[in-house]
Formats: sequence, C-alpha cells, structure tokens
Amino acid sequence: MRVACCRVPDLPLAAELRAHPELAGKPLAVASGPGPRAELVAVSEQAAARGVRRLNSVAHARTLCAELQVCVASPALERAARQALLDAALSVSPRAALAQLTSGSFAAEGCVFADATGVETLFRSEHGFATALAERARRLGLPAAVALASSRSPAQLAARRLGVGEVLVLAPDQERDFLARLPLDLLDPDDGVAETLTRFGVRSVKELLALPRRALGTRLGPRVLELVALARGEAQDPPLPSPAASRLVEAADLEYSVDQLEPLGFVLQGLLSRLVARLEARRLACASLSLTLELDAGGRDARRVGLAAPTRDLRVLMRLLLRALEARPPGAAVLAAALEAEGKPLRQGQLDLFRPAGPAAAELGRTLAELQALCGEERIGSPHCVDDHRPHLFGMQNFDPEKSRSFAPERPGNVPPTLATRALRPPVAAEVRVQAGLPSRVRSAVANGAVLHVAGPWRTTGGWWSPERRFAFDYFDVQTSDGTLSRLRFDHTRRCWDVDAVYD
Amino acid sequence: MSRPPETALAVEALLRELGPQLRRGGLPDESLPRFPTGIDAVDRLLGGGFPRGQLSELTGTATSGRTSLALALLARSTAAGEVCAVVDAADGFDPLAAESAGVTLARVLWARAPDLQSALRSTSRLLEAEGFGLVLLNLASAGLRLPPALGTRLSRAAAGTHTALVVLGLARAEGASSALVLEMRAARAHFTGTPCLLEALEVEAHLVRQRSGPADRCTRLRLQACEAA
Repeated sequence: MRVACCRVPDLPLAAELRAHPELAGKPLAVASGPGPRAELVAVSEQAAARGVRRLNSVAHARTLCAELQVCVASPALERAARQALLDAALSVSPRAALAQLTSGSFAAEGCVFADATGVETLFRSEHGFATALAERARRLGLPAAVALASSRSPAQLAARRLGVGEVLVLAPDQERDFLARLPLDLLDPDDGVAETLTRFGVRSVKELLALPRRALGTRLGPRVLELVALARGEAQDPPLPSPAASRLVEAADLEYSVDQLEPLGFVLQGLLSRLVARLEARRLACASLSLTLELDAGGRDARRVGLAAPTRDLRVLMRLLLRALEARPPGAAVLAAALEAEGKPLRQGQLDLFRPAGPAAAELGRTLAELQALCGEERIGSPHCVDDHRPHLFGMQNFDPEKSRSFAPERPGNVPPTLATRALRPPVAAEVRVQAGLPSRVRSAVANGAVLHVAGPWRTTGGWWSPERRFAFDYFDVQTSDGTLSRLRFDHTRRCWDVDAVYD
Repeated sequence: MSRPPETALAVEALLRELGPQLRRGGLPDESLPRFPTGIDAVDRLLGGGFPRGQLSELTGTATSGRTSLALALLARSTAAGEVCAVVDAADGFDPLAAESAGVTLARVLWARAPDLQSALRSTSRLLEAEGFGLVLLNLASAGLRLPPALGTRLSRAAAGTHTALVVLGLARAEGASSALVLEMRAARAHFTGTPCLLEALEVEAHLVRQRSGPADRCTRLRLQACEAA
C-alpha cells in the first residue's frame, strides 16, 4: 500500500490567510483571544523576521512590529481549513482521512492522508500524484508539503521534514534509512519520554533504534515501544476510508457583530467562494444551502435555500442567499455565520438517438439556478396535475427532461385543436346579476356586460370534514356582450362570485 | 410600386457590381427551419410553422384563441421530443388545460416570473442556455408589453440559436424586431344542446407580418371545447 501525507505546518495561520488572502505577505499573527494580553499561537514568516515569536503577548508583539496584523484564532475557520484539506485529498484519491489531532509540539499542523496505491496510471508517477495533491491544496488556499511512503507514519514524518510546497516520494527500500536520519523530535514523543531519552543522550531515530527494544520497554514502558514502532515504520494503520457524506461546511466567527445585510453579504461572499472552490475540487455542485447565523441576542437563525438544480455558480448562489436574507432579515446582529452545502454530482447528459438534443446538463443546471434567483423558489420547475378533487390544483417538481424519455402518443391529424383556458391567479372578483338561477349580467375587470350565452352550473364540492379545506363552487361558462368567454364561479363558502379563467 | 425602367436597370447593374454579398431585403437565400403547430390551416398560413432562431409574436385580446394556439404549438413540440420553456409573466399558464391540449408537462420548464423585468431576463437566460426548442414568453395580461429595445435584444439573442421564441401578448410590440406577427381574433362561440354546453370557439388567425414570405393573409379555426373534443 502507498499513502501520501499532505501537511500544512501552521494551520491556524493558513486558515486565517485562506479567509483573508489580502493579508498574505504582511506581518501577521494569530492570537489566542482578544485584548493585548492574549498570547500569539501562530506567527507568519514576515512577523518572525521582525522578532515576533509564538507565546509572545499581543502588546509585546506590537512593540516589536508596529505594523503587525493580529487576528483572533477562530476554531470555525480552522475546522473549515481542515475539511478543505480533506477535500484536496479527495480530489485526487477516492480514499482519504484527516490525521488525528495531536497536543504536542505539532499541535498546529494539519495533515491529511490519501491513498496513493496505483496512482501511476492517472498521474504518470507517484511524484506526479504528490505534486498534484500539493497543487490542489494550494488552490484551496492551503500551501502544503506532500510526502509519499508505504504507510501513514513514515509519510507524516517525512512531510514534517519538508518545507511548504516541497514534495518527497520515499521508495519502500529507502524508508528505514530515511527515518533513521531524522531527529527524535519529529516523532513527537511526550514530555516524559523525551526528557528521559535526552538524559540518555538519544537525539536521533538512529540512536533510538540502536537500543535494545525489550530493555527499552522494560525500563521506559509501552510508550517508548510505540515510538520505536513509529521509527521503524511498523505502526499499524487502519485502511483509509472512502467518505460517503458530501456535506461541506464553511464557517467564520466575526470579530465584530454585524447588523446590516450589506456587510453580512461580504462575509457570506467569502464563505461561499471558499465553499464553491471546495465543491469544484471534488467535482460536485451545490444541491442545497443551509445558512446558520449566531445572533447577538443569544439566539440562532437557521434557514435553508433549496436549488432547482445543482450548481456551483457563485453569482447565482450569492443572489439566492441574499434574496433569502432580504425576504426575512435576521432578528439581531450576527456574531458568527456557517454555510453548509450539500454536494451532489453535476447532471450528466445522455444524448438521445431519436430526440433533438436538449440543453447541456451542466448548462441547464446553471440556467435553472439563475432562473430561481430571478423568479423565486418554488416558482421554477415542471408543472404537474395533482390527483385531487380541489379544482385547478397543480404541483411543481424539479425540471428534469431526461426523466420523460418516452414518446408521447402522436395526436391524429384530424383531431380539431382544443379550446384552452388562461388561468387568472388570483381569481378576479365579479358582480353578477342572477335571473332564474343563472347569471344574466356580469361586471368584472375581465368580462363585462349582459350574458349572451351561459352553460352550467357544474357543482364541485369537497373537503367538508375540515373548515379550512372545505370548498363548494358552481361553475358557469359565460359569454358576455363584450365578447369575452369566461369561466365564472360562485363560491358557496364565501358567498361571492369571481372569474377564475378565460377561454382563450 | 413599379420602378422606372432606367432605375431598375441601374439597380441591377449595381447589384452585379457589388457581387453576391449583397442581396435584396426580405428574400433570404434559404427558408428558415420551422416549428409546426400541428394545426394544418395555421401551418399552411405560416409556411410551415413558427420560425426557429427568430422572435415571433402571437397577439390577440381575451378569447381570441392565442392561448389555445400556443398550447397546440407546445403540445406538438413536446411530442416531438423538444425541451420547451414557458416564461409566464402573466401567470396564466394552466397545467390542466395544457395537459388536456396534449402537452407533455415533464418536458416543459415553467418559470412564473413575478414581473416583466424578471421575465425578460429569464427569457434571455433561456436563449443563452441553447437547446430549448421553444421558449414561450407569456405577456398576455394588461400592463405587460415588450419594450422595443428589449424586443430587439431578445430577437438578436434568439438569432444565434435553434430556439423559436414566441411572445404571447395583447397587441403587437412596437418596433419591427419580430420575424412574424400572427394576430388572433375571436369570431363566434358555439353553445349547443340541452342543457346548454360550450361546444367550440371559432377564431380567425391573421398573419400581419412575415419577414421571409407573404403576409396579410388569414385563416379560420374552430377550437373545440374539452368536453366536446
């Protein structure tokens, strides 16, 4: 088996730069909290060059570097960055998993493992695969180093030796020699074991492996044996999983509460663009969006934006989100925002031998999403008649012309064309004079004048068991003196007349 | 209008001199592909149906038969396997009536645009998507009218596609962006029997304008009410 490890050395810093790319190249530090006494947990190269170090207080760091930009560490951003790293791995391999979080000196690193078995057919070489993985991570805003070995531990140890953007492929026969040359610190031993081994004068993996294993176990306990197994590349790793879930989350904790839609739009734009980049990496499209806002008042505002078709068109998704927010603005200022996308593969088109080619599947998806943004949710789709006694009820379903592949029966040529109705939504109120139980004169916005011809009534009733669903209509086909042929109805429940359709 | 013989000769000489890139207006080299309605009389009147890659107008007042004709066109198109769209600014599309007219609803995308601007932008987007055989823009309601500039823009957007764009309206749009204008007029409603039933509506289809052929002709149609049909 071959495994690649993609490692981001300083994930809190990378997560901030991913969210704020405009800060790249500037002296930047990530603080553990707000205020001048907070400790720095991550420092950029530019800040380090000015003497700023981790664990400095913010106030001290500012005295060292006046133009230092300080961001408060955001667990939400780090979680999203870690998931983005997993997406980068899943974009090149079907099986991938995030490395377990550590609490030692490598607590800030973010690692993901990707199955690299048999990748030569797709990427020409293992080096090509590792380069592609590093490039995918970089595109998602996470510059990383990639090492490839026979199992997870050697790959991770090798990645720790590499600088950002570097790539290393370890052949199986080189691994032991490579590991032997590594300093012991890279194995991240816990403090007790590290101190004891330092007292013994053991500073490299080679020196550790030179010691008798059994005696080490007897004297220093099982932890050191785990360390030896790690150094020999003998650690037992479970197989890498193939994640089925494709729910992608991007979140951000805001440093200041936002109480207007326009600045909130900027925050959401950033979240959405990162989400779309991740969807693109995994060749997925967004089938639905869920927005959760943490409010200043202590509550939570959650809403779901359904899409007529999966898309990853940023402009369309943003328009839909803003439309949803404008329709129902959050009740209080916003402290944090989380955006979750349900990823689905883009529609695949299948050309038909006997039918005209319809719109391309991907283009249709984009069009449907854009139309939804223009017309509103539930106003786009394919209509269908509902099997219900209530008059003129119809439903809307997702438009998918691929589903109706069967040919409709051809109408015989000699059948006369059908007279159709044009619906009036809502029905137009009418004043009607009645003689002998039939309308004799109509006054309304669509039909006016004396009734020349009338057919009916046709009574439709139902829903008698529920006051809300109860209906009782008498329908009449009426031609008035102004030439309009309309469908007039008397509503027995509301005791009023209206015109609900025009023959046209 | 007849030209003086010397003028006609001069025009012919000029045409010869300028070469084949210049042709007489209104006489295209090849006939446009057409979308038949399935109603023989109308298809004969239109020279085969509504043209693809062009904007056509189907106008008329209430009870003129324009919706029935539009649904017949939609039914014929979906039966032929075309993917169609109805952009409904008037919110008057009746799925039940469409199904009765033979429309395969699963192949129809219905966009219930809340206003004229959304309807026009939706139509433009549908034309950009390409692959829709027929786009029906329903403006058959008071207060909805195709603005001349946007009509020209839609006409241009349709020109590069195989989509027949048909605008359903109360009256002909200003400007001359449409390739064909078919005006529908109500003639007579037939109520018969005891009890009295609506049997049919007679209407007149008047070809007001056609860019690629003769115009100012009309035909009469009998639209059968559903129960009688």
